[in-house]
Amino acid sequence: MSVLETQKISKQYPGTLALDNVTASFESGKIHALIGKNGSGKSTLINIFSGAVCPSSGKILLNGEEIVFKSPAEAQARGIATVYQELSLVPGMSVAENIFIGQLPMKGISVDWKKTRKMAKELLSELGIDISPDETVANLSAWQCQMVEIAKAMRIQPKVLQLDEPTSSLAQSEVESLFRIIRKLKEKDVIILYITHKLQELWNIADTCTVIRDGRLIGVKNMDCLDRRELIKMMFGEVEIKTRPAELKYSEEVVLKVENLSDGRKFSNINFDLHKGEVLGIAGMLGVGRTELLSCIFGAQPAKSGSVFLNGKQIDNRTPEKMNKLGMAMTQEDRKRIGVNVNGRIYDNLCYASLDRLGKGSIVDRKMESSYVARQVKNLDIKLADTNFLVSSLSGGNQQKVVVGNWLNIEPKVILMDEPSRGIDVNAKQQIFQIIWDQAQKGISCLIVSTELEELLEICHRILIMRNGRIEKEVLPENVTVEDLYAICMGE
Amino acid sequence: MEIKKKKISFLSTLTNYTLEVLLVVLFIALSFISDYFLTTTNILNMLRNIALQGIIAFGMTIVIVSGELDLSISSSVALSGVLIGLIGGNLSNAGIMPIKYAVLVGMAVALVISIAVGYVNGWLITRFKIPAMIVTLAMQNVLFGIAAVISKGFPIVTFPEWYSFIGSGRIFGQIPVPVIILIIMFIVTYFLLSYTKFGRAAFACGGNAEAARLSGINVKRTKIQAMILIQICCVISGIMLSSQVMSGTFSFAKGWEMNAIAAVIIGGASLAGGIGNMRGTLLGIVFIGILTNGMTLLNVNDYVQYIVRGGLIIFAVLLSTIKNKQKL
Repeated sequence: MSVLETQKISKQYPGTLALDNVTASFESGKIHALIGKNGSGKSTLINIFSGAVCPSSGKILLNGEEIVFKSPAEAQARGIATVYQELSLVPGMSVAENIFIGQLPMKGISVDWKKTRKMAKELLSELGIDISPDETVANLSAWQCQMVEIAKAMRIQPKVLQLDEPTSSLAQSEVESLFRIIRKLKEKDVIILYITHKLQELWNIADTCTVIRDGRLIGVKNMDCLDRRELIKMMFGEVEIKTRPAELKYSEEVVLKVENLSDGRKFSNINFDLHKGEVLGIAGMLGVGRTELLSCIFGAQPAKSGSVFLNGKQIDNRTPEKMNKLGMAMTQEDRKRIGVNVNGRIYDNLCYASLDRLGKGSIVDRKMESSYVARQVKNLDIKLADTNFLVSSLSGGNQQKVVVGNWLNIEPKVILMDEPSRGIDVNAKQQIFQIIWDQAQKGISCLIVSTELEELLEICHRILIMRNGRIEKEVLPENVTVEDLYAICMGE
Repeated sequence: MEIKKKKISFLSTLTNYTLEVLLVVLFIALSFISDYFLTTTNILNMLRNIALQGIIAFGMTIVIVSGELDLSISSSVALSGVLIGLIGGNLSNAGIMPIKYAVLVGMAVALVISIAVGYVNGWLITRFKIPAMIVTLAMQNVLFGIAAVISKGFPIVTFPEWYSFIGSGRIFGQIPVPVIILIIMFIVTYFLLSYTKFGRAAFACGGNAEAARLSGINVKRTKIQAMILIQICCVISGIMLSSQVMSGTFSFAKGWEMNAIAAVIIGGASLAGGIGNMRGTLLGIVFIGILTNGMTLLNVNDYVQYIVRGGLIIFAVLLSTIKNKQKL
């Protein structure tokens, strides 16, 4: 039996204390879930174990012996393997090759393929994974890839195995197959750390649960004496819900109407109304089809059936270009990849959506352009040295403000926001909420998707709960607690 | 934070003017080495020589900024010369109109065809997401083949006398017409890239095409417009080239795409798209022009010149990669 311990581990980043004196221990033969909301410090702890981040103070002990490593390679050499969310397999190579990549057995100057196959076969059968070592990875499904990834981590016979969100890309039926393999690993005297956002999985797979909040260890519980409400309370604390301004009322006038909308894949039969000046939230766990729903309304991806009405007029053949012209805006969840041009100037990024409105004809009205930039920088309080700098020079919160500002320049009637508070600090979040309320005050309607349910309670007039691609329920924030909301989202 | 910012701006000012410094050094060095270099005749000749490829480099700047590439240009230049000569010759031989005017019909047809070629290039790239490099390389072969087939492999020499004015004429007794055209095209493309919605959209598409699309910018249209624009530049260049030698030949302009791309990259554009400017490209073509001129004056072997230009491109790309890394 082996034990991994942390003693008073802290990690100080400029401006934030990501981990604060965390002391915990994890023994082998069990699956230890590591839980915390976004920004709780859980990722920092995983990264310290995997060697990607050095702690500012404190010690890590493996079987009583202090271990220090400066790189992921050193951590691996000490027997700590990590399987990350993003898969690292090479699609064009065989399973065997992928497992032993980087340390393929050699015969003289050539790779000993016979031995590679044999070793891969042994490893796979030992783990109970029923995949041929000769299969090309491109032909495998997502959960099979995840298993090959685990086999790859197990080739070094690690003492610690970290699994970071292994089920995030899997369908429900595949999750159980993956869990069977993970449970089998328990017999191997391995310390398994399991990280997930899907709380409902925990009772199915984990033995113990370690909760981190605001960088501090909140508690360690055995799963069989922990219920959901208690877990949520541990994760979020006694949540103080700030209310939106009381004078913020919406009118009965329907601005956006969605009728029986389906995309044929992720969601079906969606119906709702969005009123003038209303802030409407869509709650739901990851992968229930929320992003797809917003994208479909906005015309960024095709619908299969159903209709969207804007101010009573049915809008077919939607494209972002068309919706933009009609006064609809959408801020993206994946900001860096598709929300903003990080290698472009802040100045230009603030005027992408409003480009067509910058003067009549095809010539840019430069005066208008600079006034558009100036008003967003001022109104949204974007902290910058110079609008000629690249967006990548800004903090996450200010980048998000650039995204919002880009859209506010079209003077939209409806704003769709996908995870508006993703990856930004608490202060910036409050500012973004204030911006949303300010817009609502002006009669602009907002549709907000978020996994951070306590935030939805804070900002919305009304919340729709989405599960398995359908809207299951509608709640009013004043009639519901965070715990209830989580429970409904998870399906209870 | 404060210190870091200062450092970046100092570095970027330094790297921003690398090209200017190099140009001045090269210019001074050549004036000392060769007596002939710093004469009005030589300078004007050098400018005339860079005009033809320079115009294409302007078009290429917009294409590269929008995140694409066009390798078909050399064949387009040759094809337009062949087309103009052929159409002009046939119309006058058939007695429909005198060659004086028939050549104008040829120019119009060449223009229309170039727009079609640009459209097809852009459509294949945006509609089917085929890499621009493949589409335009294939198009280079297709157009080369068409030019060879319709000219039956011979130079076409049916041009009216006035036609030579475009490529070889001089205004005010001194300034070559191509240099005037180069300056006009610089102003036009500079304006397009810096003052129009199209130019802004091109930067957005090259910087992050998906973010641009989701902002409501018509990415497909913007890229197709850029691909058409460079083909129009090719026709203008093709007219000047065929006018200079009073001949349209299918094998003209081989390898020009390399020089055009080199000028754009030396001028500070990023092959990844989203970064680039006309002033830089202009300096880039002047730089290549002076270098080539200098090497010719110093009797450097033609093939050695290839090596120098090729090496220069690698060096320029290296420099721009390092520079762009510093910015991030």
